[in-house]
Parts: sequence; structure tokens; C-alpha cells
Amino acid sequence: MTVSTETPPYPLLPSLARGLAAGGLAGLVSGLFSLLLAEPLMDRAIRLEEKRAAAQEAQEHAAHGHGGGHSHAAEAEELFSRGTQHFGLVVTAVVVGLAVGVFFALAYALVHRASAFTERRWERSMALAGAGFLALSLLPGLRYPANPPGVGDGGTVSERQGLWIAALVIGVLGMLLAWQLAVRMRRHGSGAPARQLAAAGAVAGTLAVLWLLPDNPDPVPVPATLLWDFRVLSLAAHLVLWAALGVAFGLLRDGGQGTRKAPDAGQAQDAPDARV
Amino acid sequence: MSPQTPSATATGTPTPAAASAATIRTRDALIALGAAILALIALYAVFVDNGQLVSATGGYLHEFSHDGRHLFGAPCH
Repeated sequence: MTVSTETPPYPLLPSLARGLAAGGLAGLVSGLFSLLLAEPLMDRAIRLEEKRAAAQEAQEHAAHGHGGGHSHAAEAEELFSRGTQHFGLVVTAVVVGLAVGVFFALAYALVHRASAFTERRWERSMALAGAGFLALSLLPGLRYPANPPGVGDGGTVSERQGLWIAALVIGVLGMLLAWQLAVRMRRHGSGAPARQLAAAGAVAGTLAVLWLLPDNPDPVPVPATLLWDFRVLSLAAHLVLWAALGVAFGLLRDGGQGTRKAPDAGQAQDAPDARV
Repeated sequence: MSPQTPSATATGTPTPAAASAATIRTRDALIALGAAILALIALYAVFVDNGQLVSATGGYLHEFSHDGRHLFGAPCH
């Protein structure tokens, strides 16, 4: 049997545990960030929506003598109070963080399976977080920017979900292309400028492909300043999630790996990732 | 996990070691697949579901994750 000389299996379980811990933490940080900054905006957007719906209903009453006005905000209030939905935001962010953490750990394991788990973990973790932000947050977010409550027609929701998922898939495929381009060019001896320009070209190409998708069909009856603030805070929430995920995955210690790391701790002594 | 591999080769029984390395790989692949499926289900539940996932939940799942959907840019009604 030659298996004993084979490289040891990649430590997937510690990696997954690290991804879950880092992702949950990142989701919590991003959720609390949004609870503080974005929720006041969403509350304002919902009050405006209620006003719009009430005005529309009054108009219909005046025109037809009866109105079937049925606002989405009123519907939402039947199920949960705004306070519960505020709490729901944080829970949702944690769930998203955990799920993203799983994919982060799996992607990390696939990309770096040929080298030791602990090798250049900080740099690699931050680089993967940056790639994830581009692929799943910034590029799809530029094509289909987030909209505050009060925007979104129930009749077009499945169409918009299809477009949104397509944008996420295109973002991931674009980042895979950029990564493979850079890897293959390095193998052929290309210098850093050529590799990095090619990768940037792939990202720009991905953005162009995203614009081949049809536009979001819904009207946006929201004041421009509210819309702008909400979209900036939405991208910020994405950024906080990915940044915290990259930092936590790069820094967190786990039992087995921590002890194995001890021999080469001479170099790690001055590095901040020896702590935490 | 890996502790089995060195101990098995040290006692001169390569076959269990070989088997365990292959077993670990298979197990890891299954765990990776399971984790990915669970993560996708979680993302579907908070970002896409409109009451179809568990019909008994009606719109509850949707409304509970309502603010998160809007904030993270997922389409909402």
C-alpha cells in the first residue's frame, strides 16, 4: 500500500468549525451594525409606505365609493410587530453568516487543499473574503441594488428572485474565472502586473455580463435620499459581514491546530494572529 | 481524524492506515456535501421562501426575515 506516503487528508472538520464560528460571529456583527443604522431607515420607509397606501385608498374611495386597498405594511403587521422584525433582522444576519461561513470554509479548503491549513492563513482568509464580497455582494449589488421596504411588487417577486440568483451565480463564475486566469498565467511565468490586470479585466467583464440581464421591473416610489442612504447601508452591511468573516477566519484558533502551530510560533509571536 | 494514521503505521499495519485515510476522505466529502446542502437550505429559507418551504409556516418565515431580505438585497414583495 502506498497510501501511507500520501499527503494527510485536509483537516476539513476544524476548517468547517472555524467557518461556522467565524460566520456566526460575522453575521452577528453585521446584524447589530444594521440594527443600529439601517433599521431607523426601514421604519421610516414603512411609515411612508403606509402613508402612500392610505392616500391611495382614500383616492379610490373617492372615485369608486369602495376601496380594496391592501398594503403590504398592514399585512406584515398582522403577523409580526416591527420590534419582532428588528430582532428577525439580527437572527437572519446570523443565519446568513453561518451559511456563508460554511461555503467560505469549503471554498478555502478547495482552493488551498495542496498546502498546510495554517499556511499564510491571515492573507488567504482576507483574500477569499474580498473575492466573496466582489462575487456575491458588490457585483450583484451594483446590478440589482437593495431596495427599502415599500418597494417590490408581489406579482414580480419570482421573476426578480430568478434575476437575483442569476446575478449571484454570474458573480461567482466571474470570480472563478479571474482566479483561474491568474493561476494559469502564473504557471506560464507571467508577471504580477499582467496577472492582476487580467483578473481585473475578468471582473469588469463579469460586470458587463451582469448588464445583459433585464432590469428590475419594479417602480421605486421612495425619496431619493432615503433610497441612497439605504443602499449605502446595505452595501456596508455586506462589507461588514465579509470583513468580519475574513478577520475571524484568519485569527480564530482551534484546539488541534493551535498546538500544532506551536513549533513555528517564533515567527507568529509578533503577529497578532497568535492571539485570540 | 489524523491521529489514527501515524499510530497505525508505527505498529506496522499499513492496511488499516490506508483504509482509514480513504475513509477519512470519503467521510469528509460526505460532510462537505451535507454542510453545503444545509447551508443552501438555510439561505433559501431566509432569502427566497415565500411560504412554500414549510407550507404550515405561511408567511411567517418570510415576515420574520423581512428586514434582513431588504437589507441584504434579496427580492421581497
